[in-house]
Amino acid sequence: MNDDLYIKESSEVYDAIVVGSGISGGWAAKELCERGFKTLMIERGRVVEHKKDYIGEGVPEWKQPHRGQVNNLVTEQQPIQKQCYAFNDTTKHFFGNDRDLPYQTAPGTTFSWIRGNQLGGKSLTWHRQSYRLSDHDFSANKLDGFGTDWPIRYKDLAPWYSHVEKHAGISGESAGLPQLPDSEFLPPFEMTAPEIAIKASIEKHYPDRQLIMGRMAHLTEPTELHISQGRVNCQARNECQKGCSFGAYFSTQSSTLPAAAKTGNLHIAANSVVHSLIYDEKTRRVKGVKIIDNNDLSEREYLGKVVFMCASTIGSAQVLLNSKSKAFPNGIANSSGVLGHYLMDHNYNARIEGDIPGFEDEYYRGRRPGGLLIPNFQYEPSRYSKDYVRGYSFSGDASREDWRSKAEGDGFGADFKAELSQAGKWKFWMMAQGEMLPRFENQVALHPTLKDKWGIPQLEFNCRWSDNEKLMMADAAEVGRKMFLKAGLENVTAEATERPPGIAIHELGTARMGRDPKTSVLNGYNQSHDIDNLFVTDGASFPSSATQNPSLTFMALTARAVDYAVKEIKAGRI
Amino acid sequence: MSDQKIGDKSSPDDKSKRGFLFGLSHLVGAAAAAQLLGGNAIATALAYSPKTDSSSHPGKIFSQANMVLLRDICALVIPTTNTAGAAEVDTHGFIDNQLYYCYQPEDQQKVRSTLLKINKVALQRHQQHFSGATTEQQLTLLTDLEKPSNGFDNEDRSQFKFLKRQIVFGYYTSQVGASQELEYLAVPGGFKGSIPYQSVGKAWGSLGL
Repeated sequence: MNDDLYIKESSEVYDAIVVGSGISGGWAAKELCERGFKTLMIERGRVVEHKKDYIGEGVPEWKQPHRGQVNNLVTEQQPIQKQCYAFNDTTKHFFGNDRDLPYQTAPGTTFSWIRGNQLGGKSLTWHRQSYRLSDHDFSANKLDGFGTDWPIRYKDLAPWYSHVEKHAGISGESAGLPQLPDSEFLPPFEMTAPEIAIKASIEKHYPDRQLIMGRMAHLTEPTELHISQGRVNCQARNECQKGCSFGAYFSTQSSTLPAAAKTGNLHIAANSVVHSLIYDEKTRRVKGVKIIDNNDLSEREYLGKVVFMCASTIGSAQVLLNSKSKAFPNGIANSSGVLGHYLMDHNYNARIEGDIPGFEDEYYRGRRPGGLLIPNFQYEPSRYSKDYVRGYSFSGDASREDWRSKAEGDGFGADFKAELSQAGKWKFWMMAQGEMLPRFENQVALHPTLKDKWGIPQLEFNCRWSDNEKLMMADAAEVGRKMFLKAGLENVTAEATERPPGIAIHELGTARMGRDPKTSVLNGYNQSHDIDNLFVTDGASFPSSATQNPSLTFMALTARAVDYAVKEIKAGRI
Repeated sequence: MSDQKIGDKSSPDDKSKRGFLFGLSHLVGAAAAAQLLGGNAIATALAYSPKTDSSSHPGKIFSQANMVLLRDICALVIPTTNTAGAAEVDTHGFIDNQLYYCYQPEDQQKVRSTLLKINKVALQRHQQHFSGATTEQQLTLLTDLEKPSNGFDNEDRSQFKFLKRQIVFGYYTSQVGASQELEYLAVPGGFKGSIPYQSVGKAWGSLGL
């Protein structure tokens, strides 16, 4: 590791600049550094050191200030962040302060923008579900005509999925499914007895549906490579978003950052808010980035030969839109005019619950950090519902009730206490995760007048579910209800809700890849059609959302893009 | 450390830290465990520290009389058995503190209203405050409140259920509730999908909260 990992002022021209330090940024930095590129990783927030800065970790609830609940004074400053399921008193420092991070939404629309502005970004707080996309996903736009065709197919990305999976560590079981290709797996987490029974029942009644153990970036059985990264096996605490000193789940801090730092080629500029990219009209290349200091608001520049935008889907879009020049008056790399458009999220608006009869003698030990999955079974046009296109997956799990669900039960005294101390009924729940169509109308744009404290124009979101998404969720709730009943569950309830986009925290699109420079921002290697030395490898590049949790694909796309960029640079073409 | 005196003979700090380090040491050896953990991994936060005398003075939002009433209700909802009960671990003091810091005025008012109503009915029935009534009278009154019947309505019941949830939360997230009344496993070491329920015999108190 070099002595000057963290830098502030620098006049050096770096071989590469990576904007962002989350899942995509960490991978870009690692791959660039390992190829001998002197790399500057730019992070808008503070440094978070592995282990040392996991201040919420390992604190039993009775030693926490408010036993996990959050002080009013804090939630007043984080009214949007607190909507996130992972936001609590032990994790709140890994979420942004909404007071400092204003944005607008078009009248009649809502968008929950969850922020993780620190070194490691949202890799510290993600849910770690890791799934490959299949050729059914890569060709969906082309087959049904919604959105532009992905310029890549599964075979292009498959070796890169393998590459990132071996390093990150993905637990799961091989299932041989056409719509959900297998990964390079560490052993899967175990199912509970009722989950095994429900799996058998669902698969018997529905030959097109499989209930599989979720695939998660957790070390169920670390390899030599993982141990050499300083990581050990998952302890099943399920307190991941506090940070994990075991390094048992993949994060920038646990996995890509140490690999990048080990090369001696990595430098990090923290507290550096990227205002815009600096464009050289003569060479038609990006020269570097203009920075506003996160703390003292002073300006500085960093220079580099190639720039990787990994600032998160919306973060990257904001920087690109704000990088205006004579050649690109509407945002850099935006000759197509689609920058900011085709914004997507996943739709988690159907939830099904039921009681599992029996299994009173069964229990589990430990807290499994994730649940089960029924992969999308409407994955090609011939399997679509007659009422809408595309499909959804179901995820959920079984667990036994405890005092939390019995707290408002009737009764007093020793009997009440005895009842609360026992595990209760087994419950099973699932939630649909639906694909959202790429639509031009769903977009982020710079607000004409409002700015944030760094002088950067605020974003205005205009994003809503279309009828396709609403019909899908209504159907998913009904399909789920029937499936639960078939599986023998009791007291089944199913509900379709209308929570607005954003809260799935799977923002995708806004700088989509495509074959045609007139209708897309990036080519099949995540390279700008307009500017050879500019790459965008985070979720902004997705032409469709598919149903899978996208982070594993961020990793694979990023590693592949770096490999391509380095080869092109060495060949003198960039 | 006043909380050491309440219902637990060993210091909760030591116990939780031991549990955490034990899980680690078991896995990678004691020396490596110390290295693995950064300085803050087992840091102690500024938690509400249970007191022995919360009902001897006004709380942050409740009068002293209401603190006494709250204490007595805690003791009736979750009494001392072979483990300490809710009053003994100062759940009433915790609730006063928690409502002050983490809840809105309308939620605080729900508890005030339910306490007021309980005393009002006690005065009507027994010509004295709830705390002066016999245990049997108190339990009958609370049971009526929960039904609701005999002078209590659905709104009374719903307000009381809010308080009951606070009592249950306060107790089962206390050191005694989570690790003595329930089974606490700070570092499980891995996930087993199927074990006989009787091998634990009670619910897990470690919920990763």
